[in-house]
Amino acid sequence: MKRFSESVKIAFQSLAANKLRAFLTMLGIIIGVGAVVAMMSIGYGAQESVISSVQGIGSNLIIVTPGNREEESHGFEQMIGEDKDRKALTVNDVRTIEREATLLNGAAPAILNSSVVKYLNKNQRVTVYASSEKAEFIYNFEVDKGNFYTSSDVLNSANVVLVGQTVINKLFGRIDPMGKIIKIDGKNFTIIGTIKPKGTDQFGNDQDNSVTIPITTAQNKLYGIDYVNMIIAQSKSEDTMKQASYEVERILRRAHNLAPDEKNDFTVQSQTQLLDILGTITSIFTITISSIAGIALLVGGIGIMNIMLVSVTERTREIGIRKAVGAKNKDILLQFLTESVVLSITGGILGIAFAVTVSVLLNNFTILTTNISAFSIILALTFSTVVGLFFGIYPAMRAARLNPIEALRHE
Amino acid sequence: MEDCKENNCIIDITDITKTYRLGKIEVRALRGIDLKIRKGEFISIMGPSGSGKSTLMNIIGCLDTPDGGSYFLDNTDVSQLKDSNLADIRNKKIGFVFQTFNLLSRSNTISNIELPLIYSKRGSEKTRKAKIYESLKAVGLIGWEKHKPSELSGGQRQRVAIARALVNDPAIILADEPTGNLDSVTGEEIMSIFQNLNRNGKTILLVTHELDIARHTNRIIYLRDGLISNEESIENPINADQMLATMPKLEDKVSKSI
Ligand SMILES: Nc1ncnc2c1ncn2[C@@H]1O[C@H](COP(=O)(O)OP(=O)(O)OP(=O)(O)O)[C@@H](O)[C@H]1O
Ligand SMILES: [Mg+2]
Repeated sequence: MKRFSESVKIAFQSLAANKLRAFLTMLGIIIGVGAVVAMMSIGYGAQESVISSVQGIGSNLIIVTPGNREEESHGFEQMIGEDKDRKALTVNDVRTIEREATLLNGAAPAILNSSVVKYLNKNQRVTVYASSEKAEFIYNFEVDKGNFYTSSDVLNSANVVLVGQTVINKLFGRIDPMGKIIKIDGKNFTIIGTIKPKGTDQFGNDQDNSVTIPITTAQNKLYGIDYVNMIIAQSKSEDTMKQASYEVERILRRAHNLAPDEKNDFTVQSQTQLLDILGTITSIFTITISSIAGIALLVGGIGIMNIMLVSVTERTREIGIRKAVGAKNKDILLQFLTESVVLSITGGILGIAFAVTVSVLLNNFTILTTNISAFSIILALTFSTVVGLFFGIYPAMRAARLNPIEALRHE
Repeated sequence: MEDCKENNCIIDITDITKTYRLGKIEVRALRGIDLKIRKGEFISIMGPSGSGKSTLMNIIGCLDTPDGGSYFLDNTDVSQLKDSNLADIRNKKIGFVFQTFNLLSRSNTISNIELPLIYSKRGSEKTRKAKIYESLKAVGLIGWEKHKPSELSGGQRQRVAIARALVNDPAIILADEPTGNLDSVTGEEIMSIFQNLNRNGKTILLVTHELDIARHTNRIIYLRDGLISNEESIENPINADQMLATMPKLEDKVSKSI
């Protein structure tokens, strides 16, 4: 199609003749598209890493946290929890669940805390995971060297610890940490093993900057508490997740002596529920950012319309010449429409390039994980084409309707 | 006035009127023009400023439509055609040459000449190239293909415009004061091109203010207040090539190459 390729050629020529102006006009689109694609990549990236890290802690997990959060289940609040029933869950609950449950592989308690560990004169602030010997499988702690703590370590509140890679690097460097004594909150612990690297989680926390100790040791010797932060149970199969959750709920209600009309003082959630909540959070994020970016695209579109109107006025004589040698109204319409679409698509492509750059930089130099999806690129290109067509049609119609004689007389 | 019964008229205009309205003021630019032009004629239109010459040319060139009267171009009634059909006629049957050249300033010689071909469907890439080359040769611009209008002299620009008008092999060439912006030698060169085209069978109609230019054509039509006031046949039109031989040469590239 000669005419169409000609329109594209003319469009590029006339944009090339006014490079700075074309660029400034495209800036709105570049920023709009760049923002959409970059933000979507952050949204997707977060979603993906959240999903993989939730799945990474093991599969078919049922998570029990203290306090009833059915009523005010809103996003992060649900994950942070409230204070009232903070002490509701204990190691005994874990034992009861393990003893009575028929649909579970096992259950492990967990206390998470941040403490300073010390080796000789070196200090490092780390996350302390306190749990039972079951954690090795349920929480996916892969032991690199040595062994995980045993049930007798848990029973005896042994001062033993397994350390993550970051801790090893910071405190020991090239020295073999096995058998060394470190101080956690001033108490001595013997290193009995190391944990394989896990990388960062969705919030950018270094999961290898952690140590794990028996829960009883943490309760009795470090924190002086008798409750736990959460209980993680593992269902025997994916199909029985629901029944297993109910079973856990039933066992805990009885263990807590709750009357039939009393509400739970704990919350049972399955991994899938958790993923759903996280999914909702990230999609709200994506929608919010996308609508802001949509406004940027609108502004960009108005910019294109403005510059196209200027262009039509400036090139009135050219339009007259083209009409005088036989261009039909629709040829002129196509020419100017092509120009606005070329402008907006070029802006879109530059915007995508910008977003890809930002996304790669964020991925490599910040804690954020990003993921540019093909969908977001197609969406961006579609949107910029639509913006070009929508805001280009009016100026193009103005051009097409010009009277050739008046156009030729135009100075 | 000639008779058009034998269908040898390329232009057959009867009682054409055109009135411009500017608010309450009415300007009767054409008040009933009859004009018959046979194939192969070379005609000039003269007349004082405001007499309606350009208005008539625009109507003949299908850039504008008359308010009344009939206009047959090559035996088709074009007085009542739609915009898109008029565009087709402008593209294929008419070659327009303007006083102010009206070239695309960003395009080179080749692209300017090619312009009408872009808007006509017929022809392969090869025949297009051949047409452009032929037009280029006819106006003596071989070697200036890649130049932009700003890199050409006025005479050269007008040659590009003539080449553009020729490229689709139109039935008639209309030139509204084609030499108005040119010095006498360059004007003579342009007239030489027109005479050569006419010798090869092209019908040409040109508007001019200069009698010297008009005397290069076969017939002069005088316009006054929107009416044809007089007509004059030229028995021995001035031969531009002979004129040029007697004139001091400003440029070496005279249109001998045609
Ligand atoms: N678009 C227009 N609107 C209003 N009046 C017009 C328009 N075009 C031409 N006229 C008027 O019509 C009359 C004829 O104009 P035209 O341009 O045909 O004259 P002309 O013979 O070509 O003059 P010149 O020798 O100066 O070019 C003039 O009075 C002019 O003012
Ligand atoms: Mg005029």
